[in-house]
Amino acid sequence: MTLQAQLDARLPLGLGGNDAGLPHYEIDTACLPVADHAALLAQFAHDRSVDLGWPEQPLISPRELIALLSPLREAGADSAFALGQLLLPGHYGLASQALLQAGSLVDMLQSLCRHAGRLTPLLTPRLLVDEQELILVWTDACGLPAGLRGFIVDLHMSAVASLCAWRAGGRLPWRFSFDRTAPRDRAQHAVHLGTALHFGCQVDAMRLHRCEADLQWPGAPGVAATALARHADPQALRRGLLASVGDRLLRQLAEPPSLEVLAAEFGMSPATFKRRLARHGTHYQAEVDRVRAHVAVYLLGPRGQGRDAVAQALGYFDGANFRRSFKRWTGMAPGAWALG
Amino acid sequence: MTRLTLPSSLAGRPLYLLARESFYPALSLLLAALTLTFATVGELKALAEWHWTDVLAEGGMALLVGVWLVYVRGSRPAGRVTTWLVLGLAAMLVGEWVDALDEVWRLPKAMAWDNALEALTPLGMLALTVGLHFWRQEQRVLGRQLAQRERFFRDHRAVDRVTQLADAGYMAGQIQLERDLDRPGCVLMLGLDGFDRLTREQGTRAADHALEAASLTLMLNLRPCDLLCRYAGDRFVVLLPGCGVAEGACLADELKAALAQLNFNGREGRRLRLPVRATLRTTAGAQPPEQLLLDLLQAL
Repeated sequence: MTLQAQLDARLPLGLGGNDAGLPHYEIDTACLPVADHAALLAQFAHDRSVDLGWPEQPLISPRELIALLSPLREAGADSAFALGQLLLPGHYGLASQALLQAGSLVDMLQSLCRHAGRLTPLLTPRLLVDEQELILVWTDACGLPAGLRGFIVDLHMSAVASLCAWRAGGRLPWRFSFDRTAPRDRAQHAVHLGTALHFGCQVDAMRLHRCEADLQWPGAPGVAATALARHADPQALRRGLLASVGDRLLRQLAEPPSLEVLAAEFGMSPATFKRRLARHGTHYQAEVDRVRAHVAVYLLGPRGQGRDAVAQALGYFDGANFRRSFKRWTGMAPGAWALG
Repeated sequence: MTRLTLPSSLAGRPLYLLARESFYPALSLLLAALTLTFATVGELKALAEWHWTDVLAEGGMALLVGVWLVYVRGSRPAGRVTTWLVLGLAAMLVGEWVDALDEVWRLPKAMAWDNALEALTPLGMLALTVGLHFWRQEQRVLGRQLAQRERFFRDHRAVDRVTQLADAGYMAGQIQLERDLDRPGCVLMLGLDGFDRLTREQGTRAADHALEAASLTLMLNLRPCDLLCRYAGDRFVVLLPGCGVAEGACLADELKAALAQLNFNGREGRRLRLPVRATLRTTAGAQPPEQLLLDLLQAL
């Protein structure tokens, strides 16, 4: 089985968004109702006595949502985690209902990934299930300012961990990987997420062994998921621009489509596409590298594959070339990564 | 009926409120009047006569004293200490200002009032010293209030918004201090079972209120020498200096019992109690204090 076939089988939802045939949303697309996340943030700010402006329009863009999140960092050292506990299932209509109607952990996480456009519009989760473990990888939906990234990742990880603990009736033994250096003080992470924390990992992910992920609970079967599949809430199925680009690149790992091809598929000229990516704080090569680095880290680490096999799977002519690229992405040699 | 509402017109206000509100306008007016007087009565020195170092030094001092005045007045509640500090700084500001104006305009020899005004600087320093003395007394009283929340060392950045307790980093520093002093002691971690559920069902404000109640309960049941910090979430840590394991276990049971008695607001107005967990370790050991705290958390 080729790598592409394996990934296609294991990432049932990583590629889901564009199949809905809906246009992607961008950082400045006004597509998020104030009644969703903004209202939740306003309530939290009120409870913690932080001043938060109320948006004037009924629909806000991801950029405006980020601007609302920014002052909440000052609402206490635990604000990312305290807010995370309230984020999911949330009151986001059918998408929230579908989360509550799921009868097992995997179903619930699949529902979360499928409806990320409504539930977590800033970060797109991708679920990967192989023989050994379940991995939930958080990727940018349409880019985040570097200074806020850690806060927003903590927020989303705590939201999912807390939702799962609530549904399962007890905390799950998640292991957390963070794409940043360790904070001065791990107390907040340790209390709210657990002590299995790994920093400096190239990827923001939550992992669970398969045997721990096999959880069922009395669900309340309902029609929310069916209604969503029939586009009852189109925003739930929409993907952010970067998530959409990631979906496309994941589908063709060994020979990534060129900038021109990608631009044409997104219905733009190469120059416009470049400009759009720049507005989201990135560029074509950075996105290609990011997807490749994520896959390489997964294959070398949890999958335990050798350097040459990974090089071949990612379309490199030889191991030395791959080694150089990997060093550029991560600052580490592939061998050191496999051991670590 | 009207006794309880504050009068709206300036005329009816108590004198000290009026003085407090018109302080900055009056001071600005005084400084402007002094400048105007110098400009009209005095003779402008030629640029060649200016001693630039003096102008910059004296003008800079006046400016800095002004900044101190704004900071002190902005960060302290009204009262005796603040009055002395502010009056002292204001007198110094006027004195320094006149000193600086002196460098730019020359007053007729016959005029001596500017020298008298310059004498305000040392008088202001005297008033400031009196204020600092009272401040020290005030700080002792406040220190007693904060006794179980901080020890020896103050770091306002470590103070939690919700419980007003210091954080895990502060506790780690204090454990290290106990080790450096080579004193025996224990660290105790306490946590509430099912607190996440309470947060989810009741919301942030109710959860924060519950934590505040828990922290006050713990504080009431601690010895004066103990230190209470909020580790994170619903986990509290207590440093018990000079305390053996047996004594520590005894204290832990008392604190657990006190917390378990606490009633929180549950769903539909019901009151609910949460089970309490506690773990205890000695402060001694080779591992870093941060790791000791993580181990405590894991054992909880």
